[in-house]
Amino acid sequence: MIVGLFVPGESLIHRLSASRKLLALALLSASLVMLGGVGSLSAAAFLVGALFIWGAGLGGARLWCTTRPLLIWLLLIVAAQLWLGSIETAMKVSLRLIALVWAASLVTLTTKLSDMSDAIVGLVQPLERFGVSPQRVAFLIALTIRLIPAMLEIVKEVREAQRARGIERSVITSFVPVITRVLKQADELSAALTARGFERWDVPG
Amino acid sequence: MTIRLDAVTVRFQERMILENLSLSLSEKRIGLIGDNGSGKSTFARLLNGLILPDQGTVTVAGLDTKKDGAKVRSRVGFLFQNPDNQIVMPTVAEDLALGLKPLKLQAAAQQEKVEDALGRFGISHLADRSAHLLSGGEKQLVALAGVMICNPDVLICDEPTTLLDRRNASSVLEKINALECQVIFVTHHLEHLENFDRVLWIERGHIQEDGVPQDVIKAYGASFQ
Repeated sequence: MIVGLFVPGESLIHRLSASRKLLALALLSASLVMLGGVGSLSAAAFLVGALFIWGAGLGGARLWCTTRPLLIWLLLIVAAQLWLGSIETAMKVSLRLIALVWAASLVTLTTKLSDMSDAIVGLVQPLERFGVSPQRVAFLIALTIRLIPAMLEIVKEVREAQRARGIERSVITSFVPVITRVLKQADELSAALTARGFERWDVPG
Repeated sequence: MTIRLDAVTVRFQERMILENLSLSLSEKRIGLIGDNGSGKSTFARLLNGLILPDQGTVTVAGLDTKKDGAKVRSRVGFLFQNPDNQIVMPTVAEDLALGLKPLKLQAAAQQEKVEDALGRFGISHLADRSAHLLSGGEKQLVALAGVMICNPDVLICDEPTTLLDRRNASSVLEKINALECQVIFVTHHLEHLENFDRVLWIERGHIQEDGVPQDVIKAYGASFQ
Protein backbone atom coordinates (compact mmCIF):
# COMPACT_ATOMS: atom_id res chain seq x y z
CA MET A 1 0.00 0.00 0.00
CA ILE A 2 2.67 2.48 1.03
CA VAL A 3 5.18 1.49 -1.62
CA GLY A 4 2.67 2.30 -4.39
CA LEU A 5 2.73 5.99 -3.41
CA PHE A 6 1.15 8.79 -5.37
CA VAL A 7 -0.66 8.01 -8.62
CA PRO A 8 -1.09 11.18 -10.69
CA GLY A 9 -4.64 12.05 -11.70
CA GLU A 10 -7.14 14.85 -12.21
CA SER A 11 -10.08 13.53 -10.19
CA LEU A 12 -11.88 15.59 -7.56
CA ILE A 13 -10.32 13.37 -4.89
CA HIS A 14 -6.84 14.13 -6.27
CA ARG A 15 -7.58 17.84 -6.13
CA LEU A 16 -8.87 17.87 -2.54
CA SER A 17 -6.35 19.23 -0.05
CA ALA A 18 -4.37 16.70 1.98
CA SER A 19 -5.71 18.05 5.28
CA ARG A 20 -9.33 17.59 4.11
CA LYS A 21 -8.58 14.06 3.01
CA LEU A 22 -6.93 13.27 6.35
CA LEU A 23 -9.92 14.78 8.19
CA ALA A 24 -12.33 12.74 6.06
CA LEU A 25 -10.29 9.62 6.78
CA ALA A 26 -10.45 10.32 10.52
CA LEU A 27 -14.24 10.88 10.37
CA LEU A 28 -14.75 7.74 8.32
CA SER A 29 -12.68 5.72 10.78
CA ALA A 30 -14.79 6.98 13.68
CA SER A 31 -18.01 6.28 11.76
CA LEU A 32 -16.91 2.75 10.94
CA VAL A 33 -16.42 2.04 14.63
CA MET A 34 -19.91 3.36 15.37
CA LEU A 35 -21.70 1.60 12.52
CA GLY A 36 -23.22 -1.57 13.95
CA GLY A 37 -24.89 -3.48 11.14
CA VAL A 38 -23.41 -5.73 8.49
CA GLY A 39 -25.58 -3.95 5.91
CA SER A 40 -24.34 -0.45 6.74
CA LEU A 41 -20.71 -1.62 6.94
CA SER A 42 -21.08 -3.35 3.55
CA ALA A 43 -22.50 -0.14 2.11
CA ALA A 44 -19.59 1.86 3.55
CA ALA A 45 -17.04 -0.58 2.13
CA PHE A 46 -18.81 -0.53 -1.24
CA LEU A 47 -18.84 3.28 -1.24
CA VAL A 48 -15.11 3.49 -0.45
CA GLY A 49 -14.38 0.84 -3.10
CA ALA A 50 -16.44 2.77 -5.67
CA LEU A 51 -14.62 6.00 -4.82
CA PHE A 52 -11.32 4.16 -5.19
CA ILE A 53 -12.11 2.54 -8.56
CA TRP A 54 -14.24 5.16 -10.28
CA GLY A 55 -14.13 8.30 -8.15
CA ALA A 56 -10.32 8.55 -8.18
CA GLY A 57 -9.93 6.44 -11.33
CA LEU A 58 -7.45 4.12 -9.64
CA GLY A 59 -9.06 1.00 -11.08
CA GLY A 60 -9.98 -2.46 -9.86
CA ALA A 61 -6.51 -3.94 -10.37
CA ARG A 62 -4.95 -1.47 -7.96
CA LEU A 63 -7.75 -2.11 -5.46
CA TRP A 64 -6.93 -5.81 -5.64
CA CYS A 65 -3.21 -5.06 -5.08
CA THR A 66 -4.21 -3.11 -1.98
CA THR A 67 -6.47 -5.88 -0.72
CA ARG A 68 -4.20 -8.87 -1.43
CA PRO A 69 -1.77 -8.36 1.49
CA LEU A 70 -4.80 -8.11 3.78
CA LEU A 71 -6.15 -11.54 2.98
CA ILE A 72 -3.96 -13.46 5.40
CA TRP A 73 -4.94 -11.10 8.23
CA LEU A 74 -8.60 -11.30 7.31
CA LEU A 75 -8.36 -15.07 7.39
CA LEU A 76 -6.82 -14.99 10.87
CA ILE A 77 -9.37 -12.46 12.13
CA VAL A 78 -12.30 -14.41 10.74
CA ALA A 79 -10.96 -17.63 12.26
CA ALA A 80 -10.45 -15.97 15.65
CA GLN A 81 -13.90 -14.34 15.59
CA LEU A 82 -15.62 -17.55 14.54
CA TRP A 83 -13.93 -19.29 17.44
CA LEU A 84 -14.56 -16.57 20.02
CA GLY A 85 -17.71 -14.87 18.70
CA SER A 86 -20.08 -15.34 15.79
CA ILE A 87 -20.08 -15.19 12.00
CA GLU A 88 -21.75 -11.77 12.21
CA THR A 89 -18.92 -10.34 14.33
CA ALA A 90 -16.37 -11.85 11.95
CA MET A 91 -18.09 -10.14 9.01
CA LYS A 92 -18.31 -6.79 10.80
CA VAL A 93 -14.64 -6.79 11.78
CA SER A 94 -13.57 -7.82 8.28
CA LEU A 95 -15.72 -5.17 6.59
CA ARG A 96 -14.40 -2.45 8.92
CA LEU A 97 -10.82 -3.45 8.20
CA ILE A 98 -11.36 -3.60 4.44
CA ALA A 99 -13.08 -0.21 4.34
CA LEU A 100 -10.36 1.37 6.47
CA VAL A 101 -7.48 0.01 4.42
CA TRP A 102 -9.16 0.99 1.15
CA ALA A 103 -9.82 4.50 2.48
CA ALA A 104 -6.26 4.90 3.77
CA SER A 105 -4.90 3.69 0.42
CA LEU A 106 -7.21 6.06 -1.42
CA VAL A 107 -5.73 8.97 0.54
CA THR A 108 -2.14 7.73 0.08
CA LEU A 109 -2.48 7.12 -3.65
CA THR A 110 -4.18 10.41 -4.46
CA THR A 111 -2.00 12.69 -2.32
CA LYS A 112 1.54 13.79 -3.07
CA LEU A 113 3.80 13.06 -0.16
CA SER A 114 4.94 16.69 -0.09
CA ASP A 115 1.28 17.78 0.35
CA MET A 116 0.85 15.14 3.03
CA SER A 117 4.00 16.43 4.75
CA ASP A 118 2.65 19.99 4.70
CA ALA A 119 -0.63 18.78 6.22
CA ILE A 120 1.26 16.88 8.91
CA VAL A 121 3.35 20.01 9.63
CA GLY A 122 0.05 21.85 10.27
CA LEU A 123 -1.22 19.08 12.56
CA VAL A 124 2.02 18.89 14.56
CA GLN A 125 2.41 22.69 14.76
CA PRO A 126 0.84 22.97 18.26
CA LEU A 127 3.58 20.70 19.59
CA GLU A 128 6.27 23.16 18.49
CA ARG A 129 6.11 24.95 21.88
CA PHE A 130 7.21 21.68 23.48
CA GLY A 131 10.32 21.55 21.31
CA VAL A 132 8.92 19.26 18.58
CA SER A 133 9.93 20.37 15.08
CA PRO A 134 6.93 19.86 12.72
CA GLN A 135 9.18 19.92 9.63
CA ARG A 136 11.35 17.19 11.01
CA VAL A 137 8.36 15.02 11.99
CA ALA A 138 6.94 15.37 8.46
CA PHE A 139 10.34 14.66 6.92
CA LEU A 140 10.81 11.60 9.10
CA ILE A 141 7.55 10.15 7.81
CA ALA A 142 8.47 10.90 4.19
CA LEU A 143 11.95 9.44 4.62
CA THR A 144 10.58 6.28 6.21
CA ILE A 145 8.28 5.75 3.24
CA ARG A 146 11.13 6.43 0.81
CA LEU A 147 13.39 3.91 2.54
CA ILE A 148 10.99 0.96 2.47
CA PRO A 149 11.79 0.01 -1.15
CA ALA A 150 15.49 0.68 -0.54
CA MET A 151 15.51 -1.73 2.41
CA LEU A 152 13.56 -4.35 0.45
CA GLU A 153 16.13 -4.02 -2.35
CA ILE A 154 18.98 -4.69 0.10
CA VAL A 155 17.20 -7.79 1.44
CA LYS A 156 16.56 -8.99 -2.14
CA GLU A 157 20.20 -8.51 -3.19
CA VAL A 158 21.53 -10.27 -0.10
CA ARG A 159 19.11 -13.16 -0.64
CA GLU A 160 20.19 -13.45 -4.27
CA ALA A 161 23.85 -13.48 -3.25
CA GLN A 162 23.12 -16.18 -0.68
CA ARG A 163 21.18 -18.29 -3.16
CA ALA A 164 24.02 -17.94 -5.68
CA ARG A 165 26.22 -19.57 -3.04
CA GLY A 166 23.73 -22.39 -2.49
CA ILE A 167 22.11 -21.08 0.70
CA GLU A 168 18.42 -21.19 -0.10
CA ARG A 169 16.79 -19.97 3.10
CA SER A 170 18.69 -18.83 6.13
CA VAL A 171 17.74 -15.86 8.25
CA ILE A 172 20.99 -16.13 10.20
CA THR A 173 23.32 -15.88 7.19
CA SER A 174 21.27 -13.01 5.72
CA PHE A 175 21.13 -11.06 8.96
CA VAL A 176 24.74 -9.84 9.13
CA PRO A 177 25.09 -8.61 5.52
CA VAL A 178 21.66 -6.97 5.61
CA ILE A 179 22.38 -5.15 8.87
CA THR A 180 25.88 -4.16 7.69
CA ARG A 181 24.52 -2.66 4.48
CA VAL A 182 21.63 -0.94 6.24
CA LEU A 183 24.02 0.67 8.74
CA LYS A 184 26.38 1.75 5.95
CA GLN A 185 23.49 3.22 4.03
CA ALA A 186 22.27 5.03 7.15
CA ASP A 187 25.74 6.51 7.58
CA GLU A 188 25.89 7.72 3.97
CA LEU A 189 22.32 8.99 4.12
CA SER A 190 23.19 11.01 7.18
CA ALA A 191 26.17 12.57 5.35
CA ALA A 192 23.98 13.30 2.32
CA LEU A 193 21.34 14.98 4.47
CA THR A 194 23.97 17.14 6.13
CA ALA A 195 25.40 18.03 2.71
CA ARG A 196 21.91 19.02 1.54
CA GLY A 197 21.37 21.43 4.42
CA PHE A 198 19.18 19.37 6.80
CA GLU A 199 20.59 21.32 9.74
CA ARG A 200 19.33 24.61 8.26
CA TRP A 201 15.68 23.63 7.94
CA ASP A 202 14.61 25.13 11.22
CA VAL A 203 16.67 28.29 10.93
CA PRO A 204 14.25 31.23 10.68
CA GLY A 205 14.44 33.33 7.52
CA MET B 1 35.92 30.78 -4.92
CA THR B 2 38.95 29.81 -2.87
CA ILE B 3 39.08 26.81 -0.56
CA ARG B 4 42.13 26.82 1.68
CA LEU B 5 43.63 24.00 3.72
CA ASP B 6 46.20 24.95 6.36
CA ALA B 7 48.27 22.17 7.96
CA VAL B 8 45.30 19.79 7.87
CA THR B 9 45.57 16.38 9.47
CA VAL B 10 42.79 13.79 9.73
CA ARG B 11 43.09 10.56 11.72
CA PHE B 12 40.71 7.68 12.11
CA GLN B 13 41.46 6.04 15.45
CA GLU B 14 45.22 5.43 15.20
CA ARG B 15 45.34 5.53 11.41
CA MET B 16 46.54 8.65 9.62
CA ILE B 17 44.17 9.42 6.72
CA LEU B 18 45.50 12.84 5.64
CA GLU B 19 48.71 14.35 7.01
CA ASN B 20 49.66 18.00 7.24
CA LEU B 21 48.11 19.20 3.97
CA SER B 22 48.37 22.85 3.04
CA LEU B 23 47.04 24.06 -0.28
CA SER B 24 44.64 26.43 -1.93
CA LEU B 25 41.95 25.46 -4.47
CA SER B 26 40.59 28.19 -6.71
CA GLU B 27 40.66 26.77 -10.27
CA LYS B 28 37.32 26.19 -11.96
CA ARG B 29 37.91 22.49 -12.69
CA ILE B 30 39.98 20.45 -10.25
CA GLY B 31 40.41 16.67 -10.44
CA LEU B 32 41.34 14.37 -7.58
CA ILE B 33 42.86 10.96 -8.26
CA GLY B 34 44.48 8.19 -6.24
CA ASP B 35 44.16 4.57 -5.21
CA ASN B 36 41.34 3.18 -3.07
CA GLY B 37 41.99 4.14 0.53
CA SER B 38 44.40 6.93 -0.39
CA GLY B 39 42.26 9.59 1.33
CA LYS B 40 40.41 11.08 -1.68
CA SER B 41 36.93 10.81 -0.23
CA THR B 42 38.07 12.11 3.14
CA PHE B 43 39.72 15.04 1.33
CA ALA B 44 36.49 15.73 -0.59
CA ARG B 45 34.38 15.58 2.58
CA LEU B 46 36.75 17.99 4.33
CA LEU B 47 35.95 20.66 1.77
CA ASN B 48 32.32 21.08 2.84
CA GLY B 49 32.74 20.21 6.50
CA LEU B 50 31.24 16.72 6.38
CA ILE B 51 34.52 15.69 8.00
CA LEU B 52 36.36 18.10 10.27
CA PRO B 53 40.15 18.16 10.56
CA ASP B 54 41.78 16.86 13.74
CA GLN B 55 44.46 19.50 13.26
CA GLY B 56 44.62 22.56 11.05
CA THR B 57 41.83 24.49 9.37
CA VAL B 58 39.77 24.34 6.20
CA THR B 59 38.23 27.60 5.03
CA VAL B 60 35.81 28.19 2.17
CA ALA B 61 35.71 31.82 1.02
CA GLY B 62 37.00 32.69 4.48
CA LEU B 63 34.42 30.55 6.35
CA ASP B 64 35.89 27.97 8.71
CA THR B 65 34.28 24.55 8.24
CA LYS B 66 34.51 23.95 12.00
CA LYS B 67 32.70 27.13 13.01
CA ASP B 68 30.46 27.78 10.01
CA GLY B 69 29.73 24.29 8.73
CA ALA B 70 26.11 24.99 7.74
CA LYS B 71 27.05 28.20 5.87
CA VAL B 72 29.87 26.37 4.08
CA ARG B 73 27.52 23.60 2.99
CA SER B 74 25.04 26.14 1.62
CA ARG B 75 27.82 27.23 -0.78
CA VAL B 76 29.48 23.88 -1.45
CA GLY B 77 27.28 21.15 -2.95
CA PHE B 78 28.23 17.48 -2.78
CA LEU B 79 27.38 14.72 -5.25
CA PHE B 80 27.87 11.22 -3.83
CA GLN B 81 28.90 8.06 -5.63
CA ASN B 82 25.64 6.24 -4.92
CA PRO B 83 22.58 8.38 -5.71
CA ASP B 84 20.38 5.99 -3.72
CA ASN B 85 21.92 7.42 -0.58
CA GLN B 86 21.40 10.99 -1.72
CA ILE B 87 17.82 10.90 -2.96
CA VAL B 88 15.69 10.96 0.15
CA MET B 89 12.16 11.75 -1.01
CA PRO B 90 9.84 9.31 -2.76
CA THR B 91 9.35 11.21 -6.03
CA VAL B 92 11.80 13.18 -8.15
CA ALA B 93 10.02 16.55 -7.87
CA GLU B 94 9.66 16.16 -4.12
CA ASP B 95 13.35 15.38 -3.78
CA LEU B 96 14.36 18.47 -5.72
CA ALA B 97 12.04 20.59 -3.59
CA LEU B 98 13.75 19.26 -0.47
CA GLY B 99 16.93 21.20 -1.20
CA LEU B 100 14.93 24.44 -1.23
CA LYS B 101 13.54 23.99 2.28
CA PRO B 102 16.09 26.29 3.96
CA LEU B 103 14.97 29.10 1.64
CA LYS B 104 11.37 28.83 2.91
CA LEU B 105 9.94 29.86 -0.48
CA GLN B 106 6.26 30.24 -1.34
CA ALA B 107 4.79 27.16 -3.02
CA ALA B 108 4.62 28.79 -6.47
CA ALA B 109 8.22 30.03 -6.34
CA GLN B 110 9.39 26.62 -5.17
CA GLN B 111 7.47 24.88 -7.95
CA GLU B 112 9.01 27.24 -10.52
CA LYS B 113 12.53 26.49 -9.30
CA VAL B 114 11.85 22.74 -9.33
CA GLU B 115 10.52 22.87 -12.88
CA ASP B 116 13.48 24.95 -13.96
CA ALA B 117 15.95 22.46 -12.48
CA LEU B 118 14.07 19.50 -13.99
CA GLY B 119 14.28 21.17 -17.40
CA ARG B 120 17.93 22.17 -17.01
CA PHE B 121 18.97 18.57 -16.37
CA GLY B 122 16.59 17.05 -18.92
CA ILE B 123 14.51 15.12 -16.40
CA SER B 124 11.15 16.91 -16.60
CA HIS B 125 9.51 13.67 -17.72
CA LEU B 126 10.58 12.02 -14.45
CA ALA B 127 9.02 14.63 -12.15
CA ASP B 128 6.32 12.43 -10.62
CA ARG B 129 8.16 9.14 -10.93
CA SER B 130 9.20 7.14 -7.86
CA ALA B 131 12.91 7.79 -7.38
CA HIS B 132 13.71 4.18 -6.50
CA LEU B 133 12.33 2.95 -9.82
CA LEU B 134 14.69 5.03 -11.99
CA SER B 135 17.78 3.75 -13.78
CA GLY B 136 21.22 4.45 -12.30
CA GLY B 137 21.92 7.26 -14.75
CA GLU B 138 18.54 8.87 -14.15
CA LYS B 139 19.06 8.66 -10.39
CA GLN B 140 22.45 10.36 -10.64
CA LEU B 141 20.94 13.15 -12.75
CA VAL B 142 18.20 13.59 -10.14
CA ALA B 143 20.84 13.71 -7.40
CA LEU B 144 22.82 16.28 -9.41
CA ALA B 145 19.72 18.40 -10.01
CA GLY B 146 18.89 18.13 -6.29
CA VAL B 147 22.27 19.65 -5.43
CA MET B 148 22.37 22.26 -8.19
CA ILE B 149 18.86 23.58 -7.47
CA CYS B 150 20.46 25.43 -4.54
CA ASN B 151 22.98 27.12 -6.88
CA PRO B 152 26.14 26.29 -4.93
CA ASP B 153 29.39 28.10 -5.78
CA VAL B 154 31.30 24.83 -5.73
CA LEU B 155 30.24 21.28 -6.57
CA ILE B 156 32.23 18.39 -5.17
CA CYS B 157 31.69 15.11 -7.01
CA ASP B 158 32.84 11.95 -5.25
CA GLU B 159 33.15 9.36 -8.04
CA PRO B 160 29.66 10.06 -9.41
CA THR B 161 30.12 7.89 -12.50
CA THR B 162 31.66 4.82 -10.88
CA LEU B 163 28.37 2.90 -10.67
CA LEU B 164 27.21 3.89 -14.17
CA ASP B 165 27.63 2.35 -17.61
CA ARG B 166 29.50 4.37 -20.25
CA ARG B 167 26.40 5.89 -21.82
CA ASN B 168 24.95 7.08 -18.51
CA ALA B 169 28.36 8.16 -17.24
CA SER B 170 28.81 10.26 -20.34
CA SER B 171 25.37 11.84 -19.91
CA VAL B 172 26.10 12.78 -16.27
CA LEU B 173 29.57 14.07 -17.19
CA GLU B 174 28.16 16.22 -19.96
CA LYS B 175 25.84 17.93 -17.47
CA ILE B 176 28.63 18.41 -14.93
CA ASN B 177 31.03 19.81 -17.54
CA ALA B 178 28.39 22.34 -18.61
CA LEU B 179 28.04 23.76 -15.09
CA GLU B 180 29.13 27.33 -14.50
CA CYS B 181 30.28 26.74 -10.93
CA GLN B 182 33.63 25.50 -9.69
CA VAL B 183 33.86 21.68 -9.76
CA ILE B 184 36.09 19.39 -7.72
CA PHE B 185 35.87 15.93 -9.21
CA VAL B 186 37.08 12.72 -7.56
CA THR B 187 37.46 9.85 -10.02
CA HIS B 188 39.32 6.75 -11.13
CA HIS B 189 38.47 7.54 -14.76
CA LEU B 190 41.50 9.60 -15.71
CA GLU B 191 40.15 10.42 -19.18
CA HIS B 192 37.40 12.51 -17.55
CA LEU B 193 40.01 14.98 -16.33
CA GLU B 194 41.82 15.73 -19.58
CA ASN B 195 40.36 19.22 -19.95
CA PHE B 196 40.58 20.14 -16.29
CA ASP B 197 42.66 23.07 -15.01
CA ARG B 198 44.40 21.16 -12.25
CA VAL B 199 44.70 17.61 -10.94
CA LEU B 200 45.81 16.43 -7.50
CA TRP B 201 47.10 12.90 -6.95
CA ILE B 202 46.66 11.79 -3.36
CA GLU B 203 48.75 8.88 -2.11
CA ARG B 204 48.61 7.57 1.47
CA GLY B 205 47.30 10.84 2.85
CA HIS B 206 49.77 13.10 1.06
CA ILE B 207 49.64 15.10 -2.16
CA GLN B 208 51.93 13.09 -4.41
CA GLU B 209 51.59 15.31 -7.49
CA ASP B 210 49.79 18.59 -8.14
CA GLY B 211 49.68 20.19 -11.58
CA VAL B 212 48.15 20.15 -15.04
CA PRO B 213 46.26 16.95 -15.96
CA GLN B 214 48.78 15.65 -18.52
CA ASP B 215 51.70 15.67 -16.06
CA VAL B 216 49.84 14.32 -13.03
CA ILE B 217 48.02 11.58 -14.95
CA LYS B 218 51.30 10.54 -16.60
CA ALA B 219 53.06 10.33 -13.22
CA TYR B 220 50.15 8.40 -11.71
CA GLY B 221 50.10 5.98 -14.64
CA ALA B 222 53.87 5.44 -14.34
CA SER B 223 53.53 4.56 -10.63
CA PHE B 224 51.91 1.18 -11.35
CA GLN B 225 53.93 0.13 -14.38
